[in-house]
Parts: sequence; C-alpha cells; structure tokens
Amino acid sequence: MDLLDNYKKAWDNQPEDANKVSSLEIYKIAQSKSSSIVKWIFIIGIAEFISLNSLYFLIDMDEALKTYEKLGLINFMFYSGILAYVILFYFLAKFYQNYKRISATSTTKILMNNIIKTRKTVRNYVIFNVGYIVLVIIVVSMALIRMESGTLNTKQLLITGFLISIAIVFILGLYWLFYQLLYGILLRKLKRNHKELAKLDSLN
Amino acid sequence: MQKDLETKFLSDFEQNQNIAHKICRIYTTNKSAHSDLFQEITIQLWKNYPKFRGDSKFSTWMYRVALNTAISLYRKSTKTIKTQDIGEIAYKIKATDYDNTEEVQLKALYKAIHKLNDIDKALIFLYLEDKPYKEISETLGISSVNARVKMNRAKDKLKNILKP
Repeated sequence: MDLLDNYKKAWDNQPEDANKVSSLEIYKIAQSKSSSIVKWIFIIGIAEFISLNSLYFLIDMDEALKTYEKLGLINFMFYSGILAYVILFYFLAKFYQNYKRISATSTTKILMNNIIKTRKTVRNYVIFNVGYIVLVIIVVSMALIRMESGTLNTKQLLITGFLISIAIVFILGLYWLFYQLLYGILLRKLKRNHKELAKLDSLN
Repeated sequence: MQKDLETKFLSDFEQNQNIAHKICRIYTTNKSAHSDLFQEITIQLWKNYPKFRGDSKFSTWMYRVALNTAISLYRKSTKTIKTQDIGEIAYKIKATDYDNTEEVQLKALYKAIHKLNDIDKALIFLYLEDKPYKEISETLGISSVNARVKMNRAKDKLKNILKP
C-alpha cells in the first residue's frame, strides 16, 4: 500500500487546474451544443425510421397497385401494410421512451444499459423492416412466377429464383456492413466499457 | 432554467470545477480533448441541474454526472500512448532520477492512470478522492463487494505500472 500512499499525497496536494474557468465562461460553455453519443444515436435512429419508410415514396403507387391486383395480392399488401405501420409506431414509441430514460444522473451501469437498449430498439425495427421487405419480395416473386409458369420452363424458373435470392442476400449483406460500420464506430468505446462493468457481475 | 437556479448552478460549479478538470485530465491526454470533454460535462451538468434535488451534496452529484459523461456519453476515445504531451515524455526522463518531488509524482501518477481502462480509471479516481465504497458502488451501479474486488485489482494494476 505504501507505494500508492506516496502518490496519493501528491494527488491530494495537486494545485488547481490551469484550465480553470470563470462562471461567465461556464455559462457560455453550457449553452454550446452537446456532441454526446446519445445525441448521435437519436439522430441516426430517427434517420433510419424515416429512410426505411420513405422507400415507399419512390414507388409509383398506382402502378404498384395495378400489379398487385393482377397478381391477386391486393389484400395481402393492404393488411400487411397496416400491420407494418402499427409495428412502426410501436417501435417509435419504444425508441422515444428508451431515449427519454437516458440520463447522466443514473448510475453508470443503468446509463449504459439504457443507451444500449435505445440503440437496440432501432436495430430490432430495422430487422423487422428488412424482414418485411424480404417477405414482400418473396411473395411478389412467387406470385409472378406462378402467373408466368405457363411460359417458363423449370430451368428458367430455377434461374429466376436463384437470381432473386442472390439479390436479397446482396442487399442484406450491404446493409449489414453499413450498419456494423456506423454503430461499430459510434459504440466501440461504450461496448468495451459495458463489458468491463458487466465482468464484475460474473464475479459473484 | 430560472435565473436564481442558473446563478446557483454557476457558483456551485465554479467552486467544484476542479472535479471536472481532474476527470478530464484522467480521461484525455491533450488540451483540445480536455476542453472538449469539459464542455460535454458542463452541458450534461447544466441540463440535469433542474432535476438535482439537493438530497446529496452538489459535489457527490457532480462526480456521478461527470464520470458518466467521460465513460459513456463522450464519444471520442483517446488512444493515450501515442498522443501524450511532450511535457509528459520529458517527465518520464526526469522521473528516473530518484529525486521525486510531488509534482513529478503527480505527473507519473496521471501517466500511469492513462494506461488503465475507463472503468479502472473511475475506480482509482474515486479512491484518490477518498470516496467511501458505498458512494463508489452507488455511482457505478455495482455492489459494494464488486466495487471492493474491482478496486483492489485496479490498485494492483496501477502499482504494477508505477513500480520503478
């Protein structure tokens, strides 16, 4: 203990910091914009909700409806669309609720848990949404194949199915990479510290 | 924030700002990162002050908010070894001749703390500030037993680094 005791004395006697600021400066600093990871998680999360849902605006809805009708999918698209919106609002509410819970006054452990929970809400929504898109692609492709099955032979059917699967895997892979990169950079430090603190629990 | 609340915050913070500076010095290694983290701590304290009920001392509350900011909210993580100040390297040379003044010891102590991980930094900091285990465990959100175990390990790590 002796070694640290010596250093501790030096710690206790350390002079005031050279960067000391006046209360006027404190006031100015307090007005500046936060750049905490929570802010970034909120901004990116909202951007994800918006971007995933604005994909639909890129599609010519009249044209799409006609196609769905031809394929006999109008009911499927209508009800699954409503369900998707209900689920979107559930996730949005959950996201906001978790975000609100993040507070610098919590204990370190709770704070980290809340940050991670907020991020996971968005992640789960993305998984749901991608799953929904994949489902729609599969259903539409199957309906198309069924309709065209008279004119296509087995080989052509297999090739079509294969190409569609490749496209799905490619899109998912690209998205996954982007996601890993974005949150990987943002949360690397937090994850490391969270793991370090979690290690304590496994001690008991 | 109301005017008198603002005034109270500013005077409380001004008096206790050394806590924040010490934390900045532990978690960052250059001047611009120091003021960056100090800014974020200030913002978090300011934002949360209306919720501060005063059932604990301002300083106790400040330790928690400032450490949380450094550990979880502040985004940049500094890889310390490569970005240390030239001043610190100079001290490293000085520290080898055994005439250890407190100033030299303090520099060596900060340098050693920089090598610890973020959680160990917090534990060592709270130890150096004479915080009781109860407060340490409440700040970090871990049990007192865990805090004790982890503290002993952190101290051992620090001693190993400081060993001449």
